[in-house]
Amino acid sequence: MLIQILNGIVYGGLLYLLAVGLVLIFGLREVVNFAHGALFMIGAYIGFSIAAMGYWWSGLLVSVFAMALVGCALDAAVFRTLRKHDHIVTVLVTFGILLILETVVTKVWGKAYLTYPVPPLLAGTVSIGGSPFPIYRLFVIAVSVAVAVSLSLWLRYTRAGLYIRAASTDARVTSMQGINVDRLSLIVVGLGTALAGLSGVVAGPLLSLSPTMGNYILIDSFIVVVIGGLGSFAGAFIAALLIGQIHNFGAVYLPWAATVLPFMLMVGILIWRPTGFAGSRT
Amino acid sequence: MTGNVIEGIGLSRRYGGFAALDNVDIAVKQGEIRGLIGPNGAGKSTLIDVLSGRAVNRSGKVLLNGEDISALTPQERRRRGMARSFQRTNIFPDLTVEQQLLVAAWAVPGADIAEVMDELRLTELADIPAGEISYGDQRRLDLALALVGRPTVLLLDEPAAGLTMEESLGLARILRDLANRWKVTVLLVEHDMQVVFSICDRITVLHLGRSLSEGTCAEIRVDPTVIAAYLGTEA
Amino acid sequence: MTALTEIRASTPRRKPVSHAMLIAGAVAALAVGAALPWIVPTKIAMSLLAQAMFDALLATSVGFLILQNGRTSFGQAAFFGLGGYTVGVLVARQWVAPELALLAALVLPTAVAFLLGLVISRITGVAHAMLTLAVGQAFYEVVFRWRELAKGDDGMSFDLPARVFGFSARKLQDPAFMLVLSWTILVLILVGLVLFTRSRVGQVAAAIRDNEERARFLGYSTVMPPALVYAIAAFIAATAGILQACYNGYIAPQMFHWSTSGFALIMAIIGGAKFIFGPAIGAIVLFYIKDFAGQFAEYWPAIVGGILVVVTLTMPRGVVGLALLLWRRGTGR
Repeated sequence: MLIQILNGIVYGGLLYLLAVGLVLIFGLREVVNFAHGALFMIGAYIGFSIAAMGYWWSGLLVSVFAMALVGCALDAAVFRTLRKHDHIVTVLVTFGILLILETVVTKVWGKAYLTYPVPPLLAGTVSIGGSPFPIYRLFVIAVSVAVAVSLSLWLRYTRAGLYIRAASTDARVTSMQGINVDRLSLIVVGLGTALAGLSGVVAGPLLSLSPTMGNYILIDSFIVVVIGGLGSFAGAFIAALLIGQIHNFGAVYLPWAATVLPFMLMVGILIWRPTGFAGSRT
Repeated sequence: MTGNVIEGIGLSRRYGGFAALDNVDIAVKQGEIRGLIGPNGAGKSTLIDVLSGRAVNRSGKVLLNGEDISALTPQERRRRGMARSFQRTNIFPDLTVEQQLLVAAWAVPGADIAEVMDELRLTELADIPAGEISYGDQRRLDLALALVGRPTVLLLDEPAAGLTMEESLGLARILRDLANRWKVTVLLVEHDMQVVFSICDRITVLHLGRSLSEGTCAEIRVDPTVIAAYLGTEA
Repeated sequence: MTALTEIRASTPRRKPVSHAMLIAGAVAALAVGAALPWIVPTKIAMSLLAQAMFDALLATSVGFLILQNGRTSFGQAAFFGLGGYTVGVLVARQWVAPELALLAALVLPTAVAFLLGLVISRITGVAHAMLTLAVGQAFYEVVFRWRELAKGDDGMSFDLPARVFGFSARKLQDPAFMLVLSWTILVLILVGLVLFTRSRVGQVAAAIRDNEERARFLGYSTVMPPALVYAIAAFIAATAGILQACYNGYIAPQMFHWSTSGFALIMAIIGGAKFIFGPAIGAIVLFYIKDFAGQFAEYWPAIVGGILVVVTLTMPRGVVGLALLLWRRGTGR
């Protein structure tokens, strides 16, 4: 039972990392980044390639850094250029980018399922409540918690964090205060995509790698973001835990309810409070 | 029947902790053109919103020809002959001028758009999408949409907003003319005093959500409380 | 206006096509359709083109929602799948006569969409996209797991009944017949949509799309007309699903997947959602590009994605919009 709950937390942690990225990007650019799942996937593949050469931890670092760069490029080339237009246009462009990235991965790494190794440092299991629990999964939980804590500290105690919280509430007013929203977005979007990459690498050994690995978790992270309330990092944390538990318990006990319930929650919340998504600004 | 076409009794409305309207009374007689003025934040738009059903009053009543319409939706109020225009131009950008006037007409049995198009000089613009016409034309269209079907009561929220002095006075003249010919009762929010004094029979003054004064143009012009309110808010 | 305008660009200033021209155009299109088995060289080509017709119908469904309601749906595949699955499951189990199965397959998705439309019509933009995505995926996940219904993620093949409406049903799986049938249905639906947009309900729906608040103050219920548009769009999607299911004799959860919705949306955008026949053109354009891409087929998603990005950024009115623009410039109108 405890193991079940822990497994739910593991998945919730992965979701949280993705959800945070989505919230960061949405908070500043009001864009739902459909390419996020693809970035998760590419992060995993890049990390894998380097880990396959024997450098697991370097793989993680390179991947996170690479994804940060991709995020900056995405912000500068796409989000900044399209910011004056209908948000749905940018969403479509990110969807197009998703398709392109998926194909790139298929071309470079092939369609076959690949196994991402666990680093020797984190191999093995530890006994929890009498049952063995993989150390690696504890690591995943630790990473998620570390990110959650650092993020909330960063948001609360640094100037950049203050700016982000301000801009998330109202980008126009913030830029009138003299804060360079574009430069801030570059950092924030880069951070968001870096987290997607981190989530991918960390998820690698748990799921097998495939060009579609991003799809399922992307939908789940959308659900987390909506249920958690847009712009709310704390909400994303709680929602991620919730969905993680539903996902895991559901898989075993009530597969039907577990599958449909998150969607129904998401639909319900969007009907009740659509303005969380810049409702009036179509 | 008191002869009041549109009447608000004890209307209050809050936005959070802020009282936009505080126990406001207003009564407009049949055929009258009433101006509604007051410094910024006086609650003029809110009063129009409450009377038209766009906002719900927390207390008080709205009466239309003696009937309590406080609980009625905007659609139901329209059916009883109440129409309104908007401060920020509220037209249908992708429909042509003619198309949207037709849509307005279909909601009112027996309505004819030709007369409205003619009076408001929109006939040449008939086939042009409303999003492409000039701002001044859009303001006239906004007014035209409210006038289709000859409503009995017309609530106007700054119809001359953003127009030049010449355009404003021109619009005012058309409005006065139509109101008299079609026997429309008008309640008109306006910042432009020249417009107000040129067509209004009586004026109601609001200040900080309360009713400050009411009277003819001549009376209001020299009313010390009104002058003080305007001067006081210049600081 | 810059080249990068919103998808909701203003309608072109032109005199609407007269009824006579519309009928003439429709008749001509139907005639072309009837001649297709002789124009298209091989059975395989006919089969592929028939599939393109199914895509065109689904794309039209998505595009019509954008055009008439101003809403982007990432979940139209839900109705595509509902149509296909209703007919497939009912026919496979032989619970009702095949004619009733067809009727049910049309009515169920339409009714569901109408009810959904009543609830979600006031939700716009990205929220609407996410919501429809969720609805579509919910259907997908359910069908994916429901093995007793139609073998879950394996998908289910089913045999067509012997006769439908007095005709031999086997014809439905003949490429030439299905091509002509689906083309004809597409043309008829497009004409129907044009007539709808000119009707009072259609124009009121367009007004509500443009400015819901003002429509309310003009005296209109702003819930009914959009819900009706949702229903019509679902009807079209269901038709596509029914045709595909019958043609292949096979239904699979992928029919509900958001990527199916997504591709239909892409076709609509590429063709130009502001025009009623734009999405269908988009589907056909994409079909020919895919054909042309030939050996690059493995790059297909990237090609589509790339085209989407390019079209969104440079041709907000799609291929049809661009064609009209060039034609007008060319004829100096």
